[in-house]
Amino acid sequence: MSWIRLQPQKPGPRRIGGIELQTVSAPRPDSDSLWKVALGGLKGMLGGMKLTLGYVTHPSKVVTQQYPENRETLKLPERARGRLYFVKEENGFHRCTACRICERACPNESIIIHAHKGEVTKKPEIDHYVWRLDTCTFCYACVQTCPFDAIRFDGRFESAVYDRRLLVYNLNDYAGPHDTLARKIEDEEQRASCRTPVRPYEGPVPASGEKLHGIEPLGPPRGEDE
Amino acid sequence: MTPKTLTLQDLLRTDFAPGGGTQEYFVNMGPQHPATHGVLRLLLKLDGETLRQVIPVLGYIHRGIEKICEHQTYRQIVHLSDRLDYLSALANNWCVTRVVERAAGIETNERIETIRTLMAELERLQSHTLWWGVFGMDLGAFTPFLHGFRDREELTQIFEDTIGARLTMNYIQPGGLLHDLHKDFAPRVRAWLKDFGTKVDEYDRMLSGNLIAQKRLVDIGALSGDEALGLGATGPVLRASGVPWDLRRVRPYGVYDQLDFVVPVGEKGDCWDRYWVRIEEMRQSLALCETLIENIPEGKTMLVKPAAKIRLPEGTFYEELETPRGIFGVHLHSRGKDMPWRFHFRSPNLHNLWCITKIAPGARVADIVAMLAGLDLIVPDMDR
Repeated sequence: MSWIRLQPQKPGPRRIGGIELQTVSAPRPDSDSLWKVALGGLKGMLGGMKLTLGYVTHPSKVVTQQYPENRETLKLPERARGRLYFVKEENGFHRCTACRICERACPNESIIIHAHKGEVTKKPEIDHYVWRLDTCTFCYACVQTCPFDAIRFDGRFESAVYDRRLLVYNLNDYAGPHDTLARKIEDEEQRASCRTPVRPYEGPVPASGEKLHGIEPLGPPRGEDE
Repeated sequence: MTPKTLTLQDLLRTDFAPGGGTQEYFVNMGPQHPATHGVLRLLLKLDGETLRQVIPVLGYIHRGIEKICEHQTYRQIVHLSDRLDYLSALANNWCVTRVVERAAGIETNERIETIRTLMAELERLQSHTLWWGVFGMDLGAFTPFLHGFRDREELTQIFEDTIGARLTMNYIQPGGLLHDLHKDFAPRVRAWLKDFGTKVDEYDRMLSGNLIAQKRLVDIGALSGDEALGLGATGPVLRASGVPWDLRRVRPYGVYDQLDFVVPVGEKGDCWDRYWVRIEEMRQSLALCETLIENIPEGKTMLVKPAAKIRLPEGTFYEELETPRGIFGVHLHSRGKDMPWRFHFRSPNLHNLWCITKIAPGARVADIVAMLAGLDLIVPDMDR
């Protein structure tokens, strides 16, 4: 019969592979009288119960978060990797130059860039910045490598949907030049007309328009166009 | 001393009841069993309730990560390594980073190495708190599970502040770190460490000092030091068998050579020794973190351009380090490109798993759950 007292045993050096290490040994059961064992067992059990009851009587130590009731106050840290988004300047222009560094940095082609050469600017302009949340591993390589700080992650995390195609996003809300390029266009009228609006679920990657049984075909999210 | 391999056909041909007597039968434990922590399938050969043989069957979560790595740049491989043993993601990152840095000749500064060591130690605490909670649950005590997760959650939030991810954090990268430390990091870690010092004592009061728990662990699944070495077991499993092989002391990396700590070892290598070694490791890690958090030097945290291509010279490189579960190694063969030609992980859990074939025969079905919990297995690390 035995009961273990929880003190480290035999502190001292041991040799292994020609190196001397300081070690301690695990306590082992001693042989004790039945009474001591019974008392020890009872003590162990009561100690555990006392601890549990202590938490019952001190509800201030409870750490449970009441999600989803606390959605209004729940804030994820600023570095949280939730949803990718395009950084917008005050004038509504984005910063993406379609340089494709993020596309190359992405480990599994979750970022697909479609660009064209601008008629006025003669520089690459983005058509669709396709981000596939369904294959994204949130490794942060795109944001880390972007030289223009054009994309960032924010703390939106409730991304669950019933259709996989709804996880393929267009991040840019217009096809056209980025901010610094747009500033160089001197003609006010031309600058205003160089942007073509793009919807979040537009682009070549999602099988948009295809009809699945029981699922409405992808289009503009309801409520936005009304 | 390699374990004898048996095919399923061999088993089916065996005589279950030689010369009459009781009949032996097979029971599948897993791949969907709560005590196997994932999709590990154990084929149990039973005689009544006594185990005669255990055959682990793998392959249910094989993702071909090593093959994928051959088509990834060295910077991209890092984020795959934390999909192996997700509870020691940072240690895995560090191992890949170390082999790439050594091969490419990238020098790091003291600040980077200190933060890496601190993060690895915090992750050891995070991993061991989860293990302790799950260990209690496997033995049939549900309360430790909640307590373990409560303490882990605070640490997870600290990581989330700095890194941005909660589980698969790729933070340690070739050339430095993804982010600098968050401004709240040091105060929050200090507060957590202070709080956790009392929590380890609570763990002792709740589970370690309980006679029922002790009776279920002592002399169950004893593994001698020679057997553990022969099976390739590492980490707490090996140390519980009395072999004080801890890479942090034997071949120091990071700033471990400047730190002082004691290696806890067991005597018999039974479940109790494995349990106690991990509990004592928590105390040692706690002291290490308290030292490290006060001694973070100033400096840059990223020394190479994030978008720059890393090319390794031709050759074969190997690095290993001590994760919470044992020795994690990365073996890569480079042919001078920016991607490896062959990439191999030496994962601790695959080797620790085979200890079950040695320690289980003769035990009861209920004991195999305690043994699995004591080995602290992570299935995605075995299958990769």
